[in-house]
Amino acid sequence: MNAAHRQPAEPKFEPLLQFEMEMGTFLSDWHHCDQLSTYMARMISHNRTDPLRHSNFFSSALNELLEVSFRGGSPEGRIGCAVYRHGPKERVKISFPCPAGQRQFFREAVARTHGNDAYARYLDALSTDLAPSREVVLLDLAINFDAEIRLEEQDPPSITIVVDLPLEGIVS
Amino acid sequence: MLAAPFQAEFDANSQEFSFAGVVRPRSVDEIAHSISMFRNAIEEARGVLYINVKRLAQMNNTAFHAFSRVVLDACRTRSDIRFVVVTSSVVGWTERMFRHLGKIEPQITVEVYDSKFYPGQAFVEDTSFIPILRTQTKMTWRHERKILPRHGMRPGITMADICCGIGDFAVLVRKEFQPARIVALDHSKASLAYARDVASNFGISDIEYSYGDASEMLLEDNQFDLVTCRHSLQIFNQPDLLLKELYRICKPGGRVYITNEKNSHCLGEPRAQSIQWTYNEVARLFAHFEMDVELGPKSRRYLADAGFDDILVESFMVTNQDGDPQDFADIITAWENVYAGEMAVKRGDPPEFIKRFRQGFRDHIFAALHPKGYAGWPIWAASGRKPL
Repeated sequence: MNAAHRQPAEPKFEPLLQFEMEMGTFLSDWHHCDQLSTYMARMISHNRTDPLRHSNFFSSALNELLEVSFRGGSPEGRIGCAVYRHGPKERVKISFPCPAGQRQFFREAVARTHGNDAYARYLDALSTDLAPSREVVLLDLAINFDAEIRLEEQDPPSITIVVDLPLEGIVS
Repeated sequence: MLAAPFQAEFDANSQEFSFAGVVRPRSVDEIAHSISMFRNAIEEARGVLYINVKRLAQMNNTAFHAFSRVVLDACRTRSDIRFVVVTSSVVGWTERMFRHLGKIEPQITVEVYDSKFYPGQAFVEDTSFIPILRTQTKMTWRHERKILPRHGMRPGITMADICCGIGDFAVLVRKEFQPARIVALDHSKASLAYARDVASNFGISDIEYSYGDASEMLLEDNQFDLVTCRHSLQIFNQPDLLLKELYRICKPGGRVYITNEKNSHCLGEPRAQSIQWTYNEVARLFAHFEMDVELGPKSRRYLADAGFDDILVESFMVTNQDGDPQDFADIITAWENVYAGEMAVKRGDPPEFIKRFRQGFRDHIFAALHPKGYAGWPIWAASGRKPL
């Protein structure tokens, strides 16, 4: 392969914080999403330029991801969430077991965040849907948080949503 | 720490519906009451309905869609109503999420609330004022470092410096008293950039500088052993509102420390009369811009009204004998430039007034630099304890 075809080297993200818990325990209380996102955001933001505002922004994004896993996950297995950092970006990797039927849904939803019509879809959903679908939540992350989203499926029945959030640049 | 509870309120007089706190429901049913209130407010409103989300710390997509749905539906059935969503420049995601509503319906506009909403703030946030702010802190610090322990300052505490300006007080406190944690908040991005730069040059990385509105802070309740707020209540058009926020973030048993001036009591010899006239006019000039630079001796009342107990008030005089008299003179020169050169001009004062106004500052400088002269700038330091 010549140089022109090489993929750009993956930047080295340093691990900051992670948690793992039984999915059944996680699903036992909706407030786990709020509590975990608030706590993790505060921990990882302490050395950002504006810790308070970074934490507020990050918590908002992480909570949506936790809510997605809460609504789409199945009770067997474990949920894991790890946060990494590279420069002004945080990477969130959230893994959770989900039914086989959901996997295609997540593939399509993640793909739509990269589409040229992502913003039109988002506005349309906001304008017409009665409640946000999980697809709209991922579009929200892409549009309002400038998130880059991809899916990893190496370890069925779990899937891993990988979200890069350049919040330091937005906040400061 | 507990998350701020969600509040939804409608003020019919100002036609303003306010959302505050954290709202992350699992389903719309959990917020049905607030949605119903919101619908009723829209039905009642005529002309413009303001939707205030300045103090909305968190709202998940479920809630955002539900409340957006109500507004968008109203736009489709009520051509006679307009919505103005007021977001905060502090809570970044609100601005980013709510702006889309204006793209969907032209009846909705989204405004960002920031410091320009405060009368007179621009005068004191001008970056040209920064060197003089440093000199002011240097001169007041000589006094404050001695009196701060009486107001609750001690090593190992958690403290917040609200309206921290260029952050020099936080740096001095950190060095002298070694608190365990310092959060320093201001709503001037230029001042904070300067503060971060200074901290970085001194190798300081543990002061948490944060952009925020002191009257609507993201900080949670009951967090700090000591909350300091220096020279700021006097330049805020609603000091009681600011004090309420300081009270909120202070731990029960902790203290809130404030410093303020009484400008008409600035003094000097010789040329006392001219100096006194000018500083009486300074107080009137600030009052014109809704700022009370006579607040110092009123600190006790403000603290008592805000619910504090064990209130301690003392005053000190910064003088031309505190170190180099030229420092004192430099401060007065900066005051003259801003007060006479900008504020009086903005108020529309005639040239003869401005000439006399300037003369008082110059006489104050004359007194400060006179070998037998005396020039003073009095400051009131006060603190109160938040009851347990």
